[in-house]
Amino acid sequence: MSGTVESGDEVKPVVASPAAIRWERRRASMGDAWGRLRSDRLAMISLFVLLGFAVMAIITPYVSDRADISAVNTADNPTWASPSSEFWLGTDHLGRSVALQVMWGARVSLFVGLAATLLTIVIGSVIGIVAGFFGGWTDSVLMRITDWFLVIPFLPTAIVLAAVLERSLWTIVFVIGITSWPSTARLVRSQVLSVRSRLYVDRARALGAGRVHVINRHIFPNVLPLVMASTTLAVPISILTETTLSFLGLGDPTQVSWGAILNEAREKGAIDRGAWWYYMPPGMAIVMVVLAFTLVGRATETVLDPRLRER
Amino acid sequence: MKRQLGAMCLAVAALGTVVVTTANASSGDAPVTLTVGLMQDIDSLNPTAGYLVSAYETWNMQYATLTDKAADDFATEPSLAESWASDDGLTYTYTLREGLKWSDGEPLTADDVAWTINTSRDQEWINHFATTGNLTATAIDDRTVEIVSSVPDPKLPTMDVYILPRHIWEEQAAGDITTYPAEDGVGSGPFTLTSRNAGQDWTMAANPNFWRGKPAVDQVVFRVYTDGSAMVAALKSGEIDFVHDVPAELFDGLSEESGIVTLTGAQGGFSELAMNGMAGGLGDGHPALQDLTVRHAIAQAIDRPQLFDRVAHNQGQLLGTLGVSPDPVWTPEIPADQQLNYDPERAKQSLEDAGYKDTDGDGIREMPDGSQPLKFRYAELNDSDQAAPIRELITGWLKEIGIDTEVSTYDQTQLTDVIASGEYDLFVWGWTPFVDPDPMLSYFTCAQLTTDIESVGYNDANWCSPEYDALYDQQKVELDRAKRIDIVHQMLTLFYTESTYVVLYHDADTQAYRTDRFEGWTRQPKDTGPVLFTNTSPSYWTLTPIAGGAGGDDDSSNTGLIIGLAVGGVALLGLIAFFVARSRKQQDDKE
Repeated sequence: MSGTVESGDEVKPVVASPAAIRWERRRASMGDAWGRLRSDRLAMISLFVLLGFAVMAIITPYVSDRADISAVNTADNPTWASPSSEFWLGTDHLGRSVALQVMWGARVSLFVGLAATLLTIVIGSVIGIVAGFFGGWTDSVLMRITDWFLVIPFLPTAIVLAAVLERSLWTIVFVIGITSWPSTARLVRSQVLSVRSRLYVDRARALGAGRVHVINRHIFPNVLPLVMASTTLAVPISILTETTLSFLGLGDPTQVSWGAILNEAREKGAIDRGAWWYYMPPGMAIVMVVLAFTLVGRATETVLDPRLRER
Repeated sequence: MKRQLGAMCLAVAALGTVVVTTANASSGDAPVTLTVGLMQDIDSLNPTAGYLVSAYETWNMQYATLTDKAADDFATEPSLAESWASDDGLTYTYTLREGLKWSDGEPLTADDVAWTINTSRDQEWINHFATTGNLTATAIDDRTVEIVSSVPDPKLPTMDVYILPRHIWEEQAAGDITTYPAEDGVGSGPFTLTSRNAGQDWTMAANPNFWRGKPAVDQVVFRVYTDGSAMVAALKSGEIDFVHDVPAELFDGLSEESGIVTLTGAQGGFSELAMNGMAGGLGDGHPALQDLTVRHAIAQAIDRPQLFDRVAHNQGQLLGTLGVSPDPVWTPEIPADQQLNYDPERAKQSLEDAGYKDTDGDGIREMPDGSQPLKFRYAELNDSDQAAPIRELITGWLKEIGIDTEVSTYDQTQLTDVIASGEYDLFVWGWTPFVDPDPMLSYFTCAQLTTDIESVGYNDANWCSPEYDALYDQQKVELDRAKRIDIVHQMLTLFYTESTYVVLYHDADTQAYRTDRFEGWTRQPKDTGPVLFTNTSPSYWTLTPIAGGAGGDDDSSNTGLIIGLAVGGVALLGLIAFFVARSRKQQDDKE
């Protein structure tokens, strides 16, 4: 920021610089958006739920030891124990605490969900902006590639990739990212097309602004709200995909994620046994996180896009 | 005009399906079908190439042998040969039954027998050679075959190798016989193959030319499951009649169900953690594993009693030696001072003393020269329900003594390739032995090492010792059973102390069948063995359908009806579409 706005002690009618005005407006609109978001009770509850899971994922390493859910250290624990004061959510077939597994699983599931979303959004935004802004044959080529990725059935591709590549968390992140960016790219491109033809963009160009400047200053800030909304909606899909792949046994075998817990519970016959404490908690956690992200995403979308607002 | 092609296609498809419907409907007498659920697909139908239990079961059904093994105690009894005689213990004369025929109607003669034995010896067929390597067979006439052993052979007169139809296999043997897919379905056993969908199922039909007569069951369908609970659910719902390898954790619950019988069979099968001994010279196994100290430390890091309890649910036997036969007489007692029991402190100490120290403080030991950490690749099967808990425990215990692991999962074919190429450090798998200990013992001789990726041997310990080989040659010609048992005990003790294999435990075959469909299940051996997937699986020809149970085959006729209705519906739609299109076309023409 330029140094012209050192608070208005001496300079009496404040002549604010354009940057200051811009920031002032942005702050106001952010506050406005936050205010509208706050009035959406479901979204606020969802935010609290997400906050709760985030806190859980962050503090887990400080309140427990990963080794506690390593089967070699659970020799003295009962197997298939139902919930008790010692094991809040019971134990599994190897005597491991289900509660601890769900807590540690939150880290992996959330990490994969967020990392994969980031990858999706980055690829999708870059391709969408480049295609929309430059148009012409760049647009055609990029959009044909996007179409190609769009028509490949998502789950089979993800399964094949996960099966062929090395089993690790990064593989899962990569697989989700590489298979789910096309819809973001299309969304961003359409927004770029509409922004590009606005008057102020033409004016900026007429004043000699370069492409990089136009993208940075005019296109990107205007696409950002859309990207944000799209991000919050992509996270639950990524988490569900991670769950699906782990449930199908394609995840990292050494990591505990919610999908992996569900897979093991099913494999070891928890359902036949009636051991609800083994499969319900990870299932509920997935449902809650996905629902919360979706509700927050919908609310953000509504707040940021006036057309979706109820009048 | 444009729709014509589409409508034609639909109509053609509909015609095709109509034919299928009538074919279904016309077979009013549903065949008596025994459906077997299992979790292992066949690797190869070719007995000169395959090695999985599921494939052996199929060969046991399709190929009869000269002599059979009694259901009760594995005693040698007549099969294709009705009698045999020998004067000197080296030359045996077998007389075949009268009027033997292959399932395709061709006569089965002494010539088929002699050809199989001689060719398998010359070409060193992987499943025959341990038995036929020292034999020469001559067909005296159509029903007489003379077998001469070059050395005294304790296995004779038992001749339990699969006799193959020469008229099918001779042209295959001219080239590389192991590449033949063997889906011809010609055999002499109770059932022969009719169809196979890799990864899904295979079907065997009763052989009308089986020497005991056509079995009471018309066909046996083997259905491959990837999920143990789904397989058990299918048994409960009556979709399948038998389950092989019931997951250990579902076994207790299943035995409480009414109308279902569960049983555990002991056959000497075992699960092991194998280390790459690099004796074959291929691949890039971790150098530390060639050090006996490290191998012993790994063995001592593993708490086998806990593993047995938590993974196998105490079904089977907690034995640390190779299982070479269902007969426990071959299992040695390991002297107390040589036992490698769970003792992580001693394991750590011996690693420390041998110079495997954690020099960079990351909790993982390094080689004495500091070149690389003790980080081993750990390979496991993706279709085993025990792989995950075994890995969870073993990698955890190894970490406690300062050894790191990197886990990879493979299917059976992939893991076989990985082992053959020597590009592994540790893997977990298992074996099931035959009645005679010789084949299992032969797998760990130097001759079975894989030194050329084109000819894969059985020796997946990738270990070899001249002392073991010498003992192997001795037991192979020892006719005195007590002495032979003693030699085998020495071999197994040697193999145990070398610790290239850590035998985790001897598994039980956990099986279950429905009581409302078939009766006459035969355990082999009596009382302790399983009923199917046994050494020769006599159940297939002793089973009879229960009146009103299997004979009616309600499920499949229902399924047939549903399929018929669905197909009929599609056919109707196709016809409607066709006529609509045609009337449009006529309208088009009019316009």
